[in-house]
Amino acid sequence: MKKKLAGIINISISNILSIKRSLEHIGFNVIIIDQYQDIDKLDLLVLPGVGTFKEAMKKLIENNLLKLIEKAIQKNKKVLGLCLGMQILFEEGEEFGLTKGIGFFKGKVENFNKYKVEANTLIGWNNVRFNNKNKLLEQHALVANKFTNNFFYFVHSYFVKTDDENIEVANSTNGEVVYSSIVKKDNVLAFQFHPEKSGENGIILLKNELINL
Amino acid sequence: MIKRILSRIDIKNTFLVKGMHLEGLRVLGYPEFFAQKYYNENIDEIIFQDVVASLYKKNNLPSLIKKISENVFIPITCGGGIRNNDDISKLLINGADRVLINTGAVNNIEFVKDAVRTYGSSTIAVGIETQKIDNKYKVFTESGRTKNDIDAFEWIKKLQDIGVGEIILSSISKEGTGRGFDLDLNEKASKVCEVSLLAHGGAGRKEDVYELFNSTAVNGVVIAAAFHHNYFSELLKKKEISMGGSTSYLNSENFINNFSLNIKELKKYLKSKNISIR
Repeated sequence: MKKKLAGIINISISNILSIKRSLEHIGFNVIIIDQYQDIDKLDLLVLPGVGTFKEAMKKLIENNLLKLIEKAIQKNKKVLGLCLGMQILFEEGEEFGLTKGIGFFKGKVENFNKYKVEANTLIGWNNVRFNNKNKLLEQHALVANKFTNNFFYFVHSYFVKTDDENIEVANSTNGEVVYSSIVKKDNVLAFQFHPEKSGENGIILLKNELINL
Repeated sequence: MIKRILSRIDIKNTFLVKGMHLEGLRVLGYPEFFAQKYYNENIDEIIFQDVVASLYKKNNLPSLIKKISENVFIPITCGGGIRNNDDISKLLINGADRVLINTGAVNNIEFVKDAVRTYGSSTIAVGIETQKIDNKYKVFTESGRTKNDIDAFEWIKKLQDIGVGEIILSSISKEGTGRGFDLDLNEKASKVCEVSLLAHGGAGRKEDVYELFNSTAVNGVVIAAAFHHNYFSELLKKKEISMGGSTSYLNSENFINNFSLNIKELKKYLKSKNISIR
């Protein structure tokens, strides 16, 4: 069987090797996308994320990659956003000044430091609660049951809380803040955590969600 | 937040080494075997420290972690001889998630400020090696070889002020001894430290780790020798010790039994004591 092809958007400051390795591990061929190109052959487009909202958007615009992402969404390609890659799919970010995001999901990205939280920068394993009201429950409950626990690895100082129950698949908590940790709409799926750094849980999740596209 | 359990793997050239009080390094084996084993046993994160990089001004870690990241899908922190942003970039593109700076921070705080701006707080950790001198915790560099006239707690405050995301605090007098943590040090540090604080140096028995979490507010624990001894004793039983280690000092069963931790057993024990872990 021919391997599926994933393209990872390269926003130079990101560590994309781990994402590449995890996708290869579950059976993808992986290419790195540095500039605008034809995406017809892609089965999956990944928006990785380490860095700041502002820098990421700037790089995407400069390298004409924003257009590529919008095209992938339009063409109903499977798109995966990770961490900052999830946040930029929302409307607006406030990291180092207000910046307009891709706006696929409704909501804005906020800083933890305005709230009573356990950590302004959350580094570590946090619980991911799958949302019972979500219509994707059945599918995700299947996934959840295969985990030995619901811990995934997070690194973030900013978060999104979407008001749209239809898109929030799972949420997590930092002090008084409950934020969205998995969102999904149409063919776009995004995680606030790093599945490529979440041990076997992350690998199982990626496999279940991506390989049987 | 749940407490993190990290394994620390010290590297000299391409070997895993372990000493005591940051000195007297012995080769224990190949780091990739140990990393894979710890990953399989559900370790939360791994720290790779090139213990001679600072001295020799070179770093073997990029090629090593590039290989390890093929099969190990947990966060990886790398330290040793990091002096500039090029050193950091080289590690990040080869699979590191965070870098650990020690000597480079003491010698040039502006470099750390710039690194925080460039890579973000959560990517920059600073290691503090400390020991009591005249009843004051002082900061050491060059793997414990150089003493600096800096107070460890003042140093923590300074580092968090400039945006460092994580402090890894090593007690030189406890390091590699397996005789328990310096609870006084870790308690005082966790009171001034507002960012993530990891305690290193002294883990020998599971009770030591429980005591650390029960009596201080540290966010996690870094364990080296105790995990290595456990793995090594398993290899001894299977008579598979021809894996690159010159380790006669470990062949004493007594030594291993008194100073040895199995990751799965440690986690089970901590859970039974209501410590919140993964």
